[in-house]
Amino acid sequence: MIGFWDVIGRSETGPWVEEKEFNWRVGKVASRLVDEYGIEYDPEQVVPADDGLADRLYHAGLDLFLQLGVYCRDTGRVMEFTRDEVEWVLRHAPRSVTYGQGRDVAVMTAREVEDPKPPFCNMTPVGTPVAEERFVPMVQSYVQEPLADTFSSAFSQTVHGRPIKADTPQEVEAAIWNVIKLREAAQAAGRPQIGIHNLISNAASTDAILAAMQPAFGVQPNDGLCIAAMAELKVDYERIKKVACLRQTGHSKYGLYGTLVGGYAGGVEPTAVVHVAYHFLGLLVLEAQWHCGFPLHIHHMCNTTRELLWLCSTTAQALSRNTHLLNTVNTFAAAGPCTEMVVYEIVANALAATVSGANLDLVAVARNREPERASGMEARIGAEAGHLAARQGITREQANEIVKQVLALYESQMDDAPIGRRFDECYDLETLHPLDEYVDLYERCKEKLIGFGLDYSQL
Amino acid sequence: MVTNEELFKQMADAVIDGDDENCVALAKQVVGQGIDPLEAIQNGFNRGMQTVGEKFATLEYYLPDVMQSANAVGAGMKVLQPYLLERGDVSSAGTVVLGTIKGDIHDLGKNIVGTMLEAAGFTVHDLGCDTPVRQFVDRAKEAKADIIAVSAMLTTTMLYMADLVALLEELGLREKYKLMVGGAPITADWAATIGADGYGETASEAVEVAKRLMQEKKGRDQ
Repeated sequence: MIGFWDVIGRSETGPWVEEKEFNWRVGKVASRLVDEYGIEYDPEQVVPADDGLADRLYHAGLDLFLQLGVYCRDTGRVMEFTRDEVEWVLRHAPRSVTYGQGRDVAVMTAREVEDPKPPFCNMTPVGTPVAEERFVPMVQSYVQEPLADTFSSAFSQTVHGRPIKADTPQEVEAAIWNVIKLREAAQAAGRPQIGIHNLISNAASTDAILAAMQPAFGVQPNDGLCIAAMAELKVDYERIKKVACLRQTGHSKYGLYGTLVGGYAGGVEPTAVVHVAYHFLGLLVLEAQWHCGFPLHIHHMCNTTRELLWLCSTTAQALSRNTHLLNTVNTFAAAGPCTEMVVYEIVANALAATVSGANLDLVAVARNREPERASGMEARIGAEAGHLAARQGITREQANEIVKQVLALYESQMDDAPIGRRFDECYDLETLHPLDEYVDLYERCKEKLIGFGLDYSQL
Repeated sequence: MVTNEELFKQMADAVIDGDDENCVALAKQVVGQGIDPLEAIQNGFNRGMQTVGEKFATLEYYLPDVMQSANAVGAGMKVLQPYLLERGDVSSAGTVVLGTIKGDIHDLGKNIVGTMLEAAGFTVHDLGCDTPVRQFVDRAKEAKADIIAVSAMLTTTMLYMADLVALLEELGLREKYKLMVGGAPITADWAATIGADGYGETASEAVEVAKRLMQEKKGRDQ
């Protein structure tokens, strides 16, 4: 058995290492393990149907975690763990997480590879900056989607007309405003008690988050928060403070891992190994109930390239086949709303993730950096593709063929992906329905996708 | 004996291969043959690092490769530095004070830029992350910096970049330093809005921006 305070004690007693040296080790160890375990990326197998590869990747990730540990930035010490300890927390990891209350209850569970059970769909604009007056409508456009199981937040550029600065009183005020407005959006959508998987996306400091997570502001007992690990395989005490707070409440918490292809790990195969390892960090250090991965390409800042789709698929398979962890893939698209490219990117990622055993976190678009560029339609597109993959019983082999055909429709545009339309150019702000132009564009794309094998009549 | 051009090519190749032992050996050869060390750095190590930057931009190389090459250059430079000082040459392409702004603990992008700048011959003073605005100014003064380079990854922290500009202006130091900004939420529009001198979307771009700013600064200082 290993407890939270045993883990934290290791941040004080583990071996001291220069951070630069730890960064070096990540790439070196990951690269060596790729060779030792025979992990190879095949651009023709974007969604591999190779159980052996998935299992080798899992064991490489576990091996890497045992060899590297977790770097604590505040102390410069490496928190090391034994195989027995990792296996113990894996055995006792949650098998389900419940969000929402009353008729809006939704339960996330683990999925198998090629599972006919539809994916749990968290819908979110992933903190896309938006004008204060459009914050609630933008968020509402996600909550109102019938396939949304939970939702979370955009990022209001101001609160009460004032910009939000980190580590200031405004940040505290903004965090409180954020949770009030999220619940308001849920009520406006007619789903008053739907769960919020990440309550606060406009404040990073623990004091602001604590101030906001109060029932008086509409926060439900099992609404949750994400705790993001730091690249690669690092944490700091600010993160662990959140864990210490949340473990004493009923609030849900999940780990967020943004592994970078091209970063400290290196290429796509070693990055996949590191991505698997993050899940052990999440279990042991963050006490994560579920896990959200958003591996990214260091230049394209999305996970819809061929390599990243392979990474999303293989890591999901590795975890699904070898654990009962609750995993999601957070789709990051290069293109923005109301473009054909964004439809195809999201469908490709959602298909690859779903048949590989993941749940879905939908969705960051326009590389998650363009203000006002996000809408509930993109989340709908991803959720529908994910549900179809499950309901149709699409296999990995079939998904691979579909995804490759979809990739052919956008792959060449990756460098110059269109940023698309603003939210107010995609939706009627009175009715909060997507405009005909976007609906028609999606229908045109669906015709191609039907030709590739997706049967939208099964929704 | 190899010609200077051949030696410079070997130096560039050693950098591209990330071969620190060879970089040291070739640097010693530069000294032994009495070759102008500044010329060797520019045509050998810097040319190699430029290729490394290009390979990183296309992800033919990954960050560990860039770090390896930068280390190799550093090892070779240790051999050449005393001779540069002896000759009174200034080997640095410029002095940069670099950091992630207050409230922000994201440092990967900043570290890549730092590595690339060092490899391109800049002297880099890395302030780390969560750096208070005032510290950028104080350190720039201490280090006699040419450029202040600031990174932010959060929408809530990028606002401190504007505070930095305001403080520099208030202290009458705005013209003294070139200011460049970068990070995920940062755009060219934002850089222009706050009055920064440069913006790089990628690490390679940041290096080019830094070089351009140094040329502007030299032109202005002359």
